[in-house]
Amino acid sequence: MNVTATLFGQMITFIVFVWFIKAYLWEPLTQAMESRTKKISDGLAAAEQGQKKIEQATIEFSTRIDQAKTQASSIITDAESKSKNIVEEARVAAREEAQKIAKTSSQQLEQEINVAREKLKAEVAAMSLLCAEKIISKEIDKKMHDKIIDEVVNK
Amino acid sequence: MDNNAPATDNPVDYIQHHLQPLAVGDGFWRINIDTMFFSILLAGIVMIIAYRVGKRVSDGAPSGMQNVLESLIDFVNGLVKEAFPKPNKIVGPIGLTIFVWVLLMNAMDLIPVDLLPKLADMMGIHYLKVVPTTDPHTTFAMSLSIFLLCIYYNVKIKGFGGYMKSFMVHPFGIYLAPVNFILTLVEELAKPLSLALRLFGNMFTGELVFLLIALLPWYIIPIPGSLWAIFHILVITLQAFIFMVLTIMYISMASEESH
Repeated sequence: MNVTATLFGQMITFIVFVWFIKAYLWEPLTQAMESRTKKISDGLAAAEQGQKKIEQATIEFSTRIDQAKTQASSIITDAESKSKNIVEEARVAAREEAQKIAKTSSQQLEQEINVAREKLKAEVAAMSLLCAEKIISKEIDKKMHDKIIDEVVNK
Repeated sequence: MDNNAPATDNPVDYIQHHLQPLAVGDGFWRINIDTMFFSILLAGIVMIIAYRVGKRVSDGAPSGMQNVLESLIDFVNGLVKEAFPKPNKIVGPIGLTIFVWVLLMNAMDLIPVDLLPKLADMMGIHYLKVVPTTDPHTTFAMSLSIFLLCIYYNVKIKGFGGYMKSFMVHPFGIYLAPVNFILTLVEELAKPLSLALRLFGNMFTGELVFLLIALLPWYIIPIPGSLWAIFHILVITLQAFIFMVLTIMYISMASEESH
């Protein structure tokens, strides 16, 4: 092989080719690949952050739920005790009322019994008078009869 | 040579005719037009594809040709990163260019050996060597460019004195400086020489075997022809790969701080 212009021509072709590939293919493509790598890793980091946020939100959510539950249960127990109190008070009041009513009614009853007894006494007296008159019309032993009347009346 | 004469009539003439480059000029200004034409044509095709892809490159999901070129770049970049401790801006593009260019120039070998010369013959061009890598000018052009780059890196990294010192002290120490100088000189010169001759030799013999197969009767040609072509696909790829890897290795050795 002789050193000829072909050799230098090929060298120049080679150098131009390398320069062209470097300028128009290698650099834009490697940059694009790098920026894609960065994009992907950024995306993954963002996804991870999102996951963390979701976890935090879940934790907060569950604590809130727990708080709400305890609050609700305390409200329910409060309400229950209050309603118990109210029922108890009502029961006591009703009992007192009932007792009062019973008392007054028994007093009335006694009074009425007394009145009836007085009436009965008077009627008995009248009846005995009637009896006496009838007996008198048959027998005149006044002394005896008086004695009887007195006994009756005293009864 | 008569167009219609069977190749077997005069095998020696046939082969010599095929190995004759299409050249103009004399002495230094002898230019192998076929070599220049096909190598520049292939380089041009690659450059057009590279330009089109590079212009509308996107960092989103790649598609089509960008995918192919990105995986090639990744492949070359992997080799470069293995060989180079420090990032180097020029080695990657050189490696990629060599791989693609050598691969395509070698692949010209797979075009039926008589097809393009016959077509050229009909148009009045009587000599044509289709495969640029069967011309030592092409392989030496690449290996010498790389050799010059290696010298540049050697001087840049070690300094001129350091570079000269590396000739003197390796491999036997400073007391055997003359022996070291000769050994290192041979070692350094053997690099571009072996790089160029390996590719040239492989492609030249490949082409020669195709020519020998073409001398067989037409009804026998398909069997050895296709077998050799299938085997040659491997050779083509392997030689392109070896050329690229050795280039990367040589430049990385040249840009090491010290041996």
